[in-house]
Amino acid sequence: MAMGWIEQVTGSLEQKKQYRQYKARTKQLPANYRTAIDALERYLTYFGAITKGETLVKMLEDLADLFEQSAATGTPIREVVGEDPVEFAETFLQNYSEGQWINKERKRLNEAIESVRKEEEVP
Amino acid sequence: MGKQMTEMLKGTLEGIVLALLTGNPAYGYEITTLLREKGFSDIAEGTVYALLVRIEQKGLVDVEKRPSEKGPPRKVYTLNAQGDEYLEEFWRTWSFLAQRLEQLRDGGN
Repeated sequence: MAMGWIEQVTGSLEQKKQYRQYKARTKQLPANYRTAIDALERYLTYFGAITKGETLVKMLEDLADLFEQSAATGTPIREVVGEDPVEFAETFLQNYSEGQWINKERKRLNEAIESVRKEEEVP
Repeated sequence: MGKQMTEMLKGTLEGIVLALLTGNPAYGYEITTLLREKGFSDIAEGTVYALLVRIEQKGLVDVEKRPSEKGPPRKVYTLNAQGDEYLEEFWRTWSFLAQRLEQLRDGGN
């Protein structure tokens, strides 16, 4: 199918659309919330190494939900992200770990140890 | 909030939030407010939100979107049967741990 090869080159068009929608949402936020969410997005995408576009987009949409709600209630940024924004970002990120590249390596490690364990069982 | 407090809360906040939700469906901001009333004064909105995403993914709560006067629709979280079970186990684990720690403090082992 035509869509198949195009998306192989460009990435999923649907996810691009979702990402643009996310960007449009964050543009509506008051300046201080926008600065904060942009900084978080940067950290989450760098540190998160999420390779699945679907997971990445879901994460950003959840983040936008939080910021829109906080802006609506006027919660100060410090009360949203806490004293340690890195801590917050990493806790938040854990919810989306299924799309992380490192998971393949985790699986590989688990399998290697399991195979050793099996060998130990042999009398 | 002290570093040690943050670390200890990490393992227990899930149970605390589920306990607060027992018989009392609530949305994110309400839950944070409730936690603050209970003495967890420095808890961040985002920490609670990240946790709510997690317990939703684990299937411990049912979620319903309700329109709000200001801002986007709110997600209201209700504890479900699976959440009830999880909470029961949480309390059993907590009792065990608290008991063991008290024994250590009293100098026994």
